[in-house]
Amino acid sequence: MIAGRAQFNPVRPALVAALICAAPLLAVAALGVFGPWTDYMAHIARTRLPAYLGHTAMVTGVAAVSAGLIGVPLAWLVARYRFFARSVFEWLLALPLAAPAYASAYGWYDLTQPGGPADLLPTVRGPIGAGLIFGFALYPYVYLLAREAFAGQSADAYEAARTLGARPRSAFLRAAIPMARPAIAAGLALVVMESLADYGAVVHLGAPTLSVGLIRAWAGEGAIADAARLALILVMIAFVLFALERSQRQRARQTSASGRRRPPRRVDLDPVRGAVAALFCLSPVLIGLVIPLGRLTYLAFHAPMARDLFQAASHSLTLAILSGLAAAAIGLFCAYALRSKKPVAVAAARLAGLGYAVPGSVAALGVLVLLGGLQSGLDDAWTRLTGVQFPLLLSGGVLALIFAYQSRFAAAAIGPSESALQRVTPTLDMAARTLGAGPGETAWRVHRPMVMSGSLLAALLVFVEVLKELPATMILRPFNYDTLAVIANNYASDERLGEAALPALLITLVALPPMIWIARRITRQEDAK
Amino acid sequence: MTFATACKSLLVGLVSFSALSACNPSGSSSGEGVVNVYTARHYASDDALYEAFTEHTGIEVNVIEAPGDLLIERVRADGDRSQADVVITVDAGRLWRADEAGLFQPAPELEGVLANVPANLRQPDGDWFGFSKRVRVIAYAKDRVDPSEISSFEDLTDPQWRGRICVRSSNNVYNQSLLAAMVAQDGAEAAEAWARGIVENMARPPQGGDTDQIRAVAARECDVAIINHYYLARFMRSENPGDHEIGEEIGVIFADLGDGGAHVNVSGAGLAANAPNRENAIEFLEFLLSDDSQRIFAELTNEYPVIPSAAYDNDVLDAFGDFSSDDVNVDELGANAGEAQRIFDRVGWP
Repeated sequence: MIAGRAQFNPVRPALVAALICAAPLLAVAALGVFGPWTDYMAHIARTRLPAYLGHTAMVTGVAAVSAGLIGVPLAWLVARYRFFARSVFEWLLALPLAAPAYASAYGWYDLTQPGGPADLLPTVRGPIGAGLIFGFALYPYVYLLAREAFAGQSADAYEAARTLGARPRSAFLRAAIPMARPAIAAGLALVVMESLADYGAVVHLGAPTLSVGLIRAWAGEGAIADAARLALILVMIAFVLFALERSQRQRARQTSASGRRRPPRRVDLDPVRGAVAALFCLSPVLIGLVIPLGRLTYLAFHAPMARDLFQAASHSLTLAILSGLAAAAIGLFCAYALRSKKPVAVAAARLAGLGYAVPGSVAALGVLVLLGGLQSGLDDAWTRLTGVQFPLLLSGGVLALIFAYQSRFAAAAIGPSESALQRVTPTLDMAARTLGAGPGETAWRVHRPMVMSGSLLAALLVFVEVLKELPATMILRPFNYDTLAVIANNYASDERLGEAALPALLITLVALPPMIWIARRITRQEDAK
Repeated sequence: MTFATACKSLLVGLVSFSALSACNPSGSSSGEGVVNVYTARHYASDDALYEAFTEHTGIEVNVIEAPGDLLIERVRADGDRSQADVVITVDAGRLWRADEAGLFQPAPELEGVLANVPANLRQPDGDWFGFSKRVRVIAYAKDRVDPSEISSFEDLTDPQWRGRICVRSSNNVYNQSLLAAMVAQDGAEAAEAWARGIVENMARPPQGGDTDQIRAVAARECDVAIINHYYLARFMRSENPGDHEIGEEIGVIFADLGDGGAHVNVSGAGLAANAPNRENAIEFLEFLLSDDSQRIFAELTNEYPVIPSAAYDNDVLDAFGDFSSDDVNVDELGANAGEAQRIFDRVGWP
């Protein structure tokens, strides 16, 4: 068994996984490079570009800051303290991720608009409103990744800081946060990219970003090549952010000298502080999930429901589970590609992750173009060989969809895997190799136990993302194949918010069991260490 | 690893993927009793329509619902292997673009039925046609606005409406089509002057959907709003007492577009160029214009039938009364959509 695995080198499958994920983005890039030029770019440069850029900076900035300020302290609390209902909050805090951001935007706008039930509050609108909506909808990325990092982090540094006289707050800021920085940065990167890619919420709240300019090139003028070029600008923004983040991270690199980690013990909070902590944990769940979906649900009492939600839920689950499992594998492979430091492998994995900053409909377009080209190529070859055409790639199966999801959500799969794999220090590898283990055996016996929680997290994030995903699901699904997200969006885009409530709620219900299960798994694993 | 081996691995991966994908059961996307409909509509009325069609003809309806732009790209990317028989979108601009891309084929068999559709609601060569009408109208607060003050969209640019108009963003295709119709009818310059005048008179930056504009009028945030007629119809027919009351407080003006009548957009359909089930598709398209279907649109989604003689039972549409429509051909809405969007960009209508 070991002999067989010793031959296994993770770099090659890593490269394949990364290239497959990057392929649709490459198709979009090809559209942009080879497509016809119109004067649309010059036109928006003269007219709307400053507004788009301003809104983009504001929306993503507010989203990142609020998600960070919510997610990191929550993660610290849950990972290091014991208080009332802590084990419930552990998974409950992740739940707002299951509510599509546009649903939260519609719900909050409906509540706070003039004449709405909460019109005493300022109307949730404009770039700040949109940024806050994203912050409260997406902070679970930061929370989940940071919590995993805090819980897995050795207590040495924090306790050393405390011994040297630092108060808890300053020890948290100066010892714990720097060590969790790769995880926090990976979470923030997901928040920023998803806000960059959003279309529905920013249009509804009146904060058009670059994505809107991009969709207008396509929808308004049919200038697909220009839309692709604008998508490449979004990709470049994401790329620059990553480069900045990595250059920071490299300076802050630290490894535990012993390679042995002493897991931290949770501190008990007294009842008063415990209550404050519980309230602090409760508020983002209320703001990000309960209040907006509650509003939609209230509207649902006056709304009829036509479609078969049970079947749609089973479709959603099927797609999400299959994709989550595939993503765990692909994320790990891509993390290895990054770790290998081989330029082609690193470039492919980075590229695969960047696609997340592109609006979903453009990503779906990339898949369409790719599969269309592949089909006609295969048809030609197959006809020459056998005289008949190749079977249809997009013909009723869900494989094309799974592929689309992998490419779309590669970033969500790579981030957790990468940050988990970073805990595996080079010294550990060297030790394993000195003891005679091949690269494959090292991966299986040394890395696997250490990155398991990261892989579970990758699977969970992609699972939840797939539950919410829209454009690719809509255009690549088999005939008559509804999912919950499709039904919710059909109603919401038709301004029937009440009818959208039930499917949107079901998405969160469907997401709940795996969230609880995985939270327990991760906790158990930490306790076992 | 070299780049060449990387490419080889990628190729192996792609081929095995496609082989796996090809092994999937292909369902029944072609055959005797099937029609494949690619549609951007997603109303409860559509389900009723498909059921009625199957009951009537025994032909099963396979549906893919997605936004119009993606549907067009899907049909284009699939090329001659496309499974699409019928393509339906919710506005004329998308149909125009699909037509430009050569995704439709003429259907001479339909000439007879199409003669009943007013000439301006179908593509001149019969490549596609509208099957239900949605009208862009002006909603007003009955207690604050005298409806005789407004007879045309141009009236809204008068300084007396400063800070009193609510309208959604120009990303919305109905706004684009409204302006495209103005471009077609009065030229780009007049259309730009109108759009600029509206921006000056807006009560607030564009936000929300048409429903939210109606709520804003009810909440005294503004006095008039530009909306599609069926959104107001929903308020008036709502079982929610609060919403129903809003519907009562707000009136509707079928404002003229220049010298023409009200601005009419359509939900439309065309026969896909590579339709694998052509005959069934023709039957389906005919069915869209049947009295049964036309009544479904009017009664379930408050859209107006395109067949003038079609009978229906809808109190709210009756209460709206008769109105005259502009005679801009729906084909021109698509042709001028790009220009309209640029005007919005220039005048700063976000």
